[in-house]
Amino acid sequence: MLTIEKLNEYGANTKEGLARCMGNETLYLRLVTSLTAQPDFDRMREQIADHDLASAFESAHAMKGVLANLSITPLYEKVCEITELLRSREETDYQPLLEEIDTLRKTLKELVEN
Amino acid sequence: MDRFISADEYKRRVMIIDDEEINRLMLGNILETEYEVVFAKDGQEAWDLLHGEEKDISLLLLDLLMPVMNGFELISKLNEDDELKSIPVIVMTSEKEAEVKSIKLGASDFITKPYDMPEVILARCERIIKLSEETTLIHSTEKDAVTGLFTRDYFFEYIRQIEAHHNSSVDALVFNIDHFHLVNEMYGRKTGDSVLVRVANTLEEVLKEKEIISCRTEADTFYVLCEHIDDYTPFIAKIQELLGNASGSSKIRLRAGIYQEAAKDMEVELRFDRAKIACDRIRGDYSRTVAYYNNELYQKSIYHERLIRDVDDAIANEDFKVFFQPKYDITSDTPKLRSAEALIRWQHPELGMISPGDFIPLFESNGLIQKVDNYVWKTAASQIRKWKEKYNYSVAVSVNVSRIDIFDPTLQDKLRTILEENGLDASELMLEITESAYADSANTLTEVAESLRASGFKIEMDDFGSGYSSLNMITTLPIDVLKLDMKFVRNMEKDEKSLKLVELIIDIAKFLDVPVVAEGVETKSQLDTLKDLGCQVIQGYYFSKPVPADEFEQFIEKELK
Repeated sequence: MLTIEKLNEYGANTKEGLARCMGNETLYLRLVTSLTAQPDFDRMREQIADHDLASAFESAHAMKGVLANLSITPLYEKVCEITELLRSREETDYQPLLEEIDTLRKTLKELVEN
Repeated sequence: MDRFISADEYKRRVMIIDDEEINRLMLGNILETEYEVVFAKDGQEAWDLLHGEEKDISLLLLDLLMPVMNGFELISKLNEDDELKSIPVIVMTSEKEAEVKSIKLGASDFITKPYDMPEVILARCERIIKLSEETTLIHSTEKDAVTGLFTRDYFFEYIRQIEAHHNSSVDALVFNIDHFHLVNEMYGRKTGDSVLVRVANTLEEVLKEKEIISCRTEADTFYVLCEHIDDYTPFIAKIQELLGNASGSSKIRLRAGIYQEAAKDMEVELRFDRAKIACDRIRGDYSRTVAYYNNELYQKSIYHERLIRDVDDAIANEDFKVFFQPKYDITSDTPKLRSAEALIRWQHPELGMISPGDFIPLFESNGLIQKVDNYVWKTAASQIRKWKEKYNYSVAVSVNVSRIDIFDPTLQDKLRTILEENGLDASELMLEITESAYADSANTLTEVAESLRASGFKIEMDDFGSGYSSLNMITTLPIDVLKLDMKFVRNMEKDEKSLKLVELIIDIAKFLDVPVVAEGVETKSQLDTLKDLGCQVIQGYYFSKPVPADEFEQFIEKELK
């Protein structure tokens, strides 16, 4: 089960995230949990593979907003990086960044599931 | 029943539009502390909700990047919608450029992502809603300078805002001061103002438990929105008691019109219009101080509207039928056809035959009677010509000239044109003017009548005896015929007083050296009495009811034999 402590260890700024939830811990943890099922991650991966960088930017941008609100700092920082690359339609190798994001997602998922 | 609460107290509804559920829930959690929150997942869903069940939204919180319909598209669409464009929009974005663009498009403010602290968001929302509501209200001056009540515009706007959030059952009340213009004229403006203040204070004092908001409008009319009350009798009695106890200039009488428990989907102005219809209905009726708007009254006002709307079509389609009632000279042993009176009927294509009593007073009150009179004049003149052509016989026809026609500077020209078009002499189209019109505006009427007589028209004074002519005025009247009010004829065999009046009127006619026409004669005995008294001309069912032109021809043919 996900806890504030686990998220703190993960590097999330739970103080900030909780404040946005008016101190409602249950809601905050529920929202973070739902993050693991966010379709935007997979969507972005597919869009990059299809070289549809404009759509990929929109997906990344959406994720960025959610992660910022929940203050999931590690994941947020990586998504910020990829968002900026996609914003300028950078034709670069996105693979390393995508993998980093995936790893962080998996870790978060483990926190939720264990 | 819910107690009505003030605009500051009720919970407003706000809508969050964002395609990310996490964002929606997080922001919703913040806003729910102060507002009722509605959610939409994109611009299209928001648009549909705003046009459907969500009609009372005070604020939109709008994400910009969304599928289906994005935030910019929604703002543009809202700007083109008269009903929705006044809802303020706060844009939620993390992009500086988007902030500028959305503000330029008409957004009121923006919230950055990630969200600010909840207190900041709530403060921003509160400020924007307040600003928006005040901007709507600011168009009108809030308070009436004389009474301190709200002004009409503010009053209606306030009710709209309150009712968007509340469903209590309410009544619309309209109060009007009887003869207020006389207070101003007799005692001066300052006294008039003090009367208005006293009325305002009295209404407030008596209705305070139930009143939601009140205003003054049109000088001496007060509007009050009240929580529903089944029976206003004790309230109205108390108001009259407080206002009637004073003396002199302060003694006033209020009339009340009440429209109870109107459906909330009816526009608020319309509800007060209806209360006012009820209030106007008892104007001049001293036996009543309160009237309720009911279905019958509604039907009547709808019916009147219908008649007003249809009058032009009726003229164009000749739905107005002009009937003719003969007038007989009874001075010799055998009555002789002397002339006729043109009387109008309305054969409405959908409503059937409409009695003149239903539409003539209505059209007299709004001036449409001029159109109807004009139609009758033309039709009657054309009929006189047709009879002249057919029988080589002239039947003079009298037509009504309403009070408003007298003030028409083109009256004489209109009549002249009609005569010329039909090749008639002025003496063939006789003009009937009621006595009450003389009494109301003696000088103008005398001038106009004199001028018409100088052109050869014959003037008949209609309904003589029912008005209030002074003896002095009667002696100077420029008239050619006196028509005795039919109620004297009807009553003269029943009561001595009516008979005496008939005698008196016939004497007046002798003094003026003009003939008397008695209307409404139905029996031989009435005819004999009138003849004995010296009445020269008889009109009534005794000879014939008003008939269509073709039926009237039998009287001409009989005369010619």
